[in-house]
Amino acid sequence: MKPIYVAGAGMTKFGRADWSLIRLASEASRAALHHASLGEIPVDGVVVANMGAARVNKQTALGSALVDQLALYPAMAEAVENGPASGASAFKVGCQAIASGMADVVLVTGVERMRVVNGLEGTDFVASLSHPEVEYIYGVTLPSLAGMFARLVMDRFGVERRHLAMVAIKNHLNATKNPYAHIQQAVTMEGILTAPEAIVNNPPIAEPLHMFDCCPVSDGAAAVVLVSEEIMTKLGAPPIRVAGIGQATDTHAVHEREDPTDLKAVRLASERAFAMAGLRPADVNVAELHDAFTILEIAESEAAGFFGHGEGHLALERGETALDGRLPINPSGGLKAKGHPVGATGVAQLVELTWQLRGEAEGRQVKDAEVAYACNFGGFGNNVVATVLRREAR
Amino acid sequence: MAHISELEASLRPPAMEMPPYPPKAITLASGEKMVVRQVERDEIPTLLEAIYPLLWVERDFYDIVAARLFGELLAYKRYRVKDEYVLAGLIDGVLAGMVNGRLVDAKTGMSYHTLTIRRGLRVGSHLFAAKMEYHVEHCGQEEILIVAESPIGFRRWMIEYPLEKRFEVQHELGGVPSWVLPKETYYKAKPRLVAGTRPVPEELLASAETIVLPEQEIVVRQVAGEKEGET
Amino acid sequence: MSDKVVGGKCSACGAVSYPRRAVCPKCRNETFERIPIEGEGTVLTYTDVYALAIDYETRYLRLAIVELDSGQRATGQLLADDPKLGMRIQTTIGVVRKPGEKPITGLQFVPI
Repeated sequence: MKPIYVAGAGMTKFGRADWSLIRLASEASRAALHHASLGEIPVDGVVVANMGAARVNKQTALGSALVDQLALYPAMAEAVENGPASGASAFKVGCQAIASGMADVVLVTGVERMRVVNGLEGTDFVASLSHPEVEYIYGVTLPSLAGMFARLVMDRFGVERRHLAMVAIKNHLNATKNPYAHIQQAVTMEGILTAPEAIVNNPPIAEPLHMFDCCPVSDGAAAVVLVSEEIMTKLGAPPIRVAGIGQATDTHAVHEREDPTDLKAVRLASERAFAMAGLRPADVNVAELHDAFTILEIAESEAAGFFGHGEGHLALERGETALDGRLPINPSGGLKAKGHPVGATGVAQLVELTWQLRGEAEGRQVKDAEVAYACNFGGFGNNVVATVLRREAR
Repeated sequence: MAHISELEASLRPPAMEMPPYPPKAITLASGEKMVVRQVERDEIPTLLEAIYPLLWVERDFYDIVAARLFGELLAYKRYRVKDEYVLAGLIDGVLAGMVNGRLVDAKTGMSYHTLTIRRGLRVGSHLFAAKMEYHVEHCGQEEILIVAESPIGFRRWMIEYPLEKRFEVQHELGGVPSWVLPKETYYKAKPRLVAGTRPVPEELLASAETIVLPEQEIVVRQVAGEKEGET
Repeated sequence: MSDKVVGGKCSACGAVSYPRRAVCPKCRNETFERIPIEGEGTVLTYTDVYALAIDYETRYLRLAIVELDSGQRATGQLLADDPKLGMRIQTTIGVVRKPGEKPITGLQFVPI
């Protein structure tokens, strides 16, 4: 496999977009392309990550559409769909093109514009990733799967609602320093949990998960430019190496998981990514995890290998994952506060980490970040892509 | 009270005795304290100025709510609607949202509108609950007639309380037939939907004495979302 | 519209797949017999969902994952007023979703 580098990264502000789906994608793409400063170097391929365009936006063939918008034809192009892990999967496909030698420059753009439909339609669309015969027909939605998972984990490992609240508080605070974040509003333990008003401020969504345990529905796009070693040298940019990528799957129906409190696919995907990178979890300086629900940040931090099974909430409590902690998790604000345009998320995580490794994450910079890790959680944990990025010496 | 002419008096509806709404303080998710209090007629111009830019925000039906509310607030100020009340939520004195309605008679209330300026903190939920509290607990009413103009309102009120259909009654707002909140349902829903503490601490109450206009640009941006440029 | 919920029992090794699949995860055999998913069991986990999708008009839905005594796990609607982890339940079949005219039946769990 040939080495792969990230030469540029850009995104739109997440939130409620006025722009069309393709306009969002092209704005993020242009930001990434400008950041890469390719000059005369051509783009060989474009990979678009998206989950819902065919259903929610009534548009298909997004790879072709974006190529046209950016006047990049006759470059190779296609779209990749892997539910909420579409972003990292598209990134993986782009990396494979570089690694195989089939391409020297690939643009990977994730985009989602979900807010064109109302909340009920949006929830139903995301629920379509569940098993149609043994889950969906019961009214299973993604929050319901997270709620059942949370209850079990809380019962078995002593995780409490206040730990979930700590994740929300931390990520909301981080997002106030991120101009691209959907929600830039700090919240307090009093306001979301301990005050009597908390029951109104933070109503149940899928118990024991409440409103502030669930990420918002967002529109937005994020993009990175992947290049080969030769191009990286030509550009003279800070070398951000794609050190490792790992992917693993698990059973479709959540009830068939071997251990319903164990995010096995996260563990396997992470092991594969670290193995490829020749690194260990202890080497990671900053991480972006998939906190579509606060419980998932805690659980993924364990399955990825940063903390023991059932100990993630203790590390959180000790402040280890805060911006100024030993291992900052979700400096961007995470899905919880930065937002979660489904197809864009996996790419947005890598945009943040690229900025962190280049020292360009103003206001929320993790000092001396050299190794970064991202976890993009597809389905409800049955398809996970983990990535390790590393800043090499020039 | 200034002397009014016979003509003016004939143009004003007869007024029922309405108890004042005792202010309360609510801790929001952000940790900020919101004071919910009644709005006097001489404060109405400030509210009108706040909602004026929303008359052209289509998103989430702000335009129609703002337009109708504008008329209702003006009618309240100038004594041209019977037994109307207006409540506002203030954060550090800055207007965060407002609700209004009126008393049809001793037994029945008519809910008019709920408009949230500071979004993302359940201000609308708190204020709607405050006006239900006013009708039931302070005015001693039996039930309140309610309609929703937006899907958000429908979800928050019709489904969440829940409300009952009273479709044989046409709501004053002239759109769909009415739903109703009976006082029994109010009391049942109270533990999970109605919050706040009384009395409001002196310093906090003082901060809410004068209604401060939120910055217009921020209002429109908060309510309508970021304007990301033309399509 | 059958009134039983069905899994697939591998004709080679007897392992049960619920949901059914085309290839047995244990022995890779590709033929199965139909086997009803029913009986008594315990609640593994549950939740009350308020953020509902289309087709539902209730304020919330109570869902659970149960472990049946027969060895299978299943997802369904929990019809218990006072749910507890580990409580004993029995499966029944009922209407679980009404997408328009044709109601869908599936597993419901009642306390025993």
